[in-house]
Amino acid sequence: MAKEVLKVVDLRKKLGGREVLKGVTLTVREGETKVIIGPSGAGKSTLLRCINLLLRPDSGKVFLDGKEVTAPGVDPVKVRQRIGFVFQSFNLFLHMTALENVLIVLTKVKKLPMCEALRIAKEALQSVGIGEEHWGKYPAQLSGGQQQRVAIARALAMEPRIILLDEPTSALDPELIVEVMQVLENLSKKGVTMLVVTHELGFAAKAADSVVFMDDGQIIEEGPPEEILLSPRNPRVASFITRLWELYDIKDTLTSRER
Amino acid sequence: MLEVLQGVVEVLTKYAPLLAEGLKNTLLVTVASFVIGFALGLPLSVVRMYGLPPLKALVTVYVELIRGTPLMLQLFLVYYALPTLGIALSPLQAAILALGLNSAAYQAEYFRTAMGSIPRGQWGAALGIGLSMSAAVRHVVIPQVLRIAVPMLTNEAIYLLKYSSIASLITVPELLYMSRIITSRTFMYVQVYAFLGLTYVMIGSVIAKLMRRVETIIAVPGLTVSHSRSLM
Amino acid sequence: MRATKLRRGESMLELDIILRYAPLILSGFLNTLVMTVSGIGLGLALGAALAFAEVLGPKPLQMVVSTVTHIIRGIPLLVLLLLVFYGLPSFGLRLPPLPTAVLAIGIRSAAYQSQIFRSTIEAVGSAQLEAAYASGMDKLTAFRSVVLPQALRLSMPGLVNEFTIVLKDTSMAYVIGVTEMFTQAVHVAQVTLDYLAPFTLAALMYLLTCLTVSTVANRLYRRFSIPGLGTG
Repeated sequence: MAKEVLKVVDLRKKLGGREVLKGVTLTVREGETKVIIGPSGAGKSTLLRCINLLLRPDSGKVFLDGKEVTAPGVDPVKVRQRIGFVFQSFNLFLHMTALENVLIVLTKVKKLPMCEALRIAKEALQSVGIGEEHWGKYPAQLSGGQQQRVAIARALAMEPRIILLDEPTSALDPELIVEVMQVLENLSKKGVTMLVVTHELGFAAKAADSVVFMDDGQIIEEGPPEEILLSPRNPRVASFITRLWELYDIKDTLTSRER
Repeated sequence: MLEVLQGVVEVLTKYAPLLAEGLKNTLLVTVASFVIGFALGLPLSVVRMYGLPPLKALVTVYVELIRGTPLMLQLFLVYYALPTLGIALSPLQAAILALGLNSAAYQAEYFRTAMGSIPRGQWGAALGIGLSMSAAVRHVVIPQVLRIAVPMLTNEAIYLLKYSSIASLITVPELLYMSRIITSRTFMYVQVYAFLGLTYVMIGSVIAKLMRRVETIIAVPGLTVSHSRSLM
Repeated sequence: MRATKLRRGESMLELDIILRYAPLILSGFLNTLVMTVSGIGLGLALGAALAFAEVLGPKPLQMVVSTVTHIIRGIPLLVLLLLVFYGLPSFGLRLPPLPTAVLAIGIRSAAYQSQIFRSTIEAVGSAQLEAAYASGMDKLTAFRSVVLPQALRLSMPGLVNEFTIVLKDTSMAYVIGVTEMFTQAVHVAQVTLDYLAPFTLAALMYLLTCLTVSTVANRLYRRFSIPGLGTG
């Protein structure tokens, strides 16, 4: 079995008096693509933010490559440099071009010399299908799908141990979802370690090595995609999945009618 | 420290009548010039937004002239140069007129901004129910503009309060003028001016509070601008 | 000082007076510019530091900064000038009128500029900051590389406005005897007993400067504008 890159143990977090995480434990192994699904308000985003310490968990531990990063004295800045993060709303730096958005993390965070940074940044952009003609464009001049792919390139360029993706396609128009999902599937095939929060069951079915169902701050069920997506044991999971599949089917029916 | 404070209190008590007179005149200049500015500024803004092109241009020139030159200069022109045209004003009258004319230009701009923020649909609705252009301005646009403009007017009132201090330079016996009399007799410059400065801050807070009350009284749900915290 | 009645009915702008005294007034313009530029510069440096402290500093510091800047904004510049003018010597510091004025103007401008920066920093938004942190930046790098460049661009219109306000308000340095343009205009007027000509010339200079600055700034703003950031 591949080695554990990320391990989360009994993570708890209160936000505004509400217990958002009620003891979450999970593991992501080298090269694994793990998908987290579940209703909104389940604590999925909070979990990701606690893992890269954008939020401080109240209790519980997070290990990266076997070292506890939640231990006192560990610099969260250093931890985040080894964990990529992709936001639902892209959050590209608005005053920088696509290329500069990737460059800045290489020059300011990794402190690479400019020529090397340029080479890596261009490679990263190419790998997510952002061609040279877009490198000089500002975020406002790119489509949502392009912006999100640049954001993925920005995360990739740091060569992180794992990339956390927080509903990367939820803010996209349906026709743009596919291009981003395609990029993520490729990364998954290439063996990039990923923890993805998403509602795209299609992606989970195609690319996930394992699927986690979260609700009410807890992990309800975990297993290989075919098990969770087709024959979940827990009734709550079953009803949620059924509803999502129905949505899919309606969408498919409608799109096939259009054509 | 305590002695200094005692000294200040002594001086302030001794000259309290002078300061009270000064406060009265400061408030008089502030309020009167605000009213003049309002009375002139609102029609000016309507002309600038919806008036005939030549009138529009005239108002624009007026507003830009006023906003592009120092109020000090405007005040001195009104007080010292108007008499050469046969209009001699008392210092108090000159101060009120100068600050009022100045405020009119700024208030016209505030109202214009507020008019710009009214959705087009309001116009369509007003004209659509058969109101004439001028009736639409009076009954639909202006009531909304006034409400939107309240925070900006609060700012303007506080500006006028602070700028009213330059009236002391043409011998209007307002707060600063009186304070300068006091310091010339007691030589307690720092103490008196520090006290004076804080007095202005306090009057400003009172104005802000009063205007906020006005705002709540005339408030209509859905028609308030988000409260800018930059009230001073 | 008020012997202007003599000139009632005479022509308004006399060319020979203007020609004779124009150099005097224009020489004052230099000091006006010096005060404006250094006042704005001082305000920029101080204001940026204050804004950083007010947005990202520890809570008690935030409170202190916001209270102090609120008070400074509430004091009339004329009073602030007198306070600094008479206050500095009691701290054992004797400065000529011009640097004294720069100090007072700079302090006041800092209080306003910190407010401009604070609001634009907040407008940049927490999402950008979060993205910077998530990319592995520390607080200072995130502020310098992500927040500040955006906030500065968003601040441009406010800063241009602040520049014209400071330019006009340098005329108040008259009260502590700085030989700037307004003071020179008053002197010429007192000698020639003609108020209209020198004040008109000074007014034109103020107007021209305001116009030049806002035109140049607008062009710069457009030149450095980024799609999707601010109004640019």
